[in-house]
Amino acid sequence: MTERLFGNKHKVIIFSSLNLALDYIYNSIPDLLIVDFIQGNPAAFTVVSDLKADSIFGQVSIVGLFGDDQEMPDNSLLPIDDFIRYPAEEEEVLSRICICLARADRVVETNPLTRLPGNITILKQVQSRIESGVIFAMAWVDIDYFKPFNDKYGFARGDEVLKMLGRLVLNTVRQKQPQGSFIGHIGGDDFVFIVNHDVMEEVSQDLIDNFSNIVPTFYDSEDRAKGCIESVDREGAHRTFPVMGLSVGITHNSKRSFKHYGEMAEVASEMKKFAKMCGGGCSKTDQRVV
Amino acid sequence: MDIQALRLQIEKIDTLPTVPGVLKKLLKVIENPKVSLNEIGSFITSDPVLTSRVLKLVNSPVYGFPGRISSVSQALILLGMNVVRGLLLGVSVFEVMQKSMIGLWEHSIGTAITARIIAQQKGIPEPEEVSVAALLHDIGKVVLSLKFPDEYAGVVVDAEKEGIFIFEAEKKHFSVNHAEAGSWIAQKWNFPRSLVEVIEYHHKPNLSKTMLVQTSIVHLADILVRARGFGFAGDDFVPALNAGAWQILNISEAELSGIVLEMDSALSHADDFFLGD
Repeated sequence: MTERLFGNKHKVIIFSSLNLALDYIYNSIPDLLIVDFIQGNPAAFTVVSDLKADSIFGQVSIVGLFGDDQEMPDNSLLPIDDFIRYPAEEEEVLSRICICLARADRVVETNPLTRLPGNITILKQVQSRIESGVIFAMAWVDIDYFKPFNDKYGFARGDEVLKMLGRLVLNTVRQKQPQGSFIGHIGGDDFVFIVNHDVMEEVSQDLIDNFSNIVPTFYDSEDRAKGCIESVDREGAHRTFPVMGLSVGITHNSKRSFKHYGEMAEVASEMKKFAKMCGGGCSKTDQRVV
Repeated sequence: MDIQALRLQIEKIDTLPTVPGVLKKLLKVIENPKVSLNEIGSFITSDPVLTSRVLKLVNSPVYGFPGRISSVSQALILLGMNVVRGLLLGVSVFEVMQKSMIGLWEHSIGTAITARIIAQQKGIPEPEEVSVAALLHDIGKVVLSLKFPDEYAGVVVDAEKEGIFIFEAEKKHFSVNHAEAGSWIAQKWNFPRSLVEVIEYHHKPNLSKTMLVQTSIVHLADILVRARGFGFAGDDFVPALNAGAWQILNISEAELSGIVLEMDSALSHADDFFLGD
């Protein structure tokens, strides 16, 4: 039945034994596993628990198949994502599995701090725009003087700033362009967003201004009054650092074309470094024609 | 009731209701699909309860930076339009409306406007923060009269009968006054320390540890607005100005008359907020 329902959209492979299945799973990670528990094979329990405990295979969604009157094991013993009672309506099986796949797509890759999509989603979003040929602009955002702030106040306060920035990027971008925009968190103090080319500079400026406006409240009042903090630089030397600001590097495909995400990310990151060289707290747009 | 029990009771309060006039206007604002965050922001900052709701949400642990945000405009950017709309849709009004509540609302707005004028005059770096603190300074009165309506009515009667101030009568009935009660709820809702301090010490600003100037400004604004007769804070008399606050602010006579003039004109524009449609 699974094959009939999903065969045209997904590759469905049916294994008769656990060992054969495991061998395949370890070599090519599937999107979803349906495991038959009707037979009550105790080894299946162990396999599922082990897979879920693994950092790589834990991402795979697992749907358990149970008999009509079979007792459901506790989720802490059997960490499955969903279940189907056999016999089942075709329609229900279809929607459960679709939901499971969609959910996995959504949650696989969110940054635990900001809950924004991470690298894999960012890559997919950029790549699909490149391939569709639309004109768009991508910005790479990072915080100036974040490291000394983190060193002085500790990572918990640094995390507060990152969570604030996540909200700020999300809302500033969405406010200007609710449809078709995208916001991602690469990691640390690096964020990425995509908007239409014509609103990019305005969004970036809003973002920079909003951040400068809000970030002083994350400093102790004495430092806020002084407008700088004392901390150590990368070489371990003591010096004073200004209040944090944002550097934004912008690239777009209106004057040059990109073939893949890596190329575009590199230019954006370059432009961000250029913004930093100009003292930070500003955005720089790639103007080169290639 | 002992103080600990009273505090627990007050900390149980999750949301405060607003006055009916505000709700009517509020619905108009959020039903407009083209409304901007700025427009919503200036509406919210004209109501102590809406302001406290927004600050409570943005400072809640859900967003991950509790106790950091004391400005409504910053809160709105961080919450986003959809969240703000949802938040405002849940606002309710007082079930039993006392006439004095509207007076209190007007008093709060008047104090916020005046505190901002003084803060600007004194060159305080964040005048909005002072004005928010001023808007919320009497939140304890809302809290006490919401939670203990009958007892609070007794406070008002007592104050009038004995010729004492509301905050003195509160102390007799509850063993704390609205300043302390307000600071409890502000702490419970993770408001920034600076806001809590202004609320807590607005009747004795010289006791403020880190917000001496800001608390003194709100204290002075409170008294100027009472003296001007704008709104009604619950007392028929104007309480004395704290000498320490006056010293800290160091305002010359010329400066003061400038402040009063500006306040007069600003308040005459604000007059129709509750009465007008």
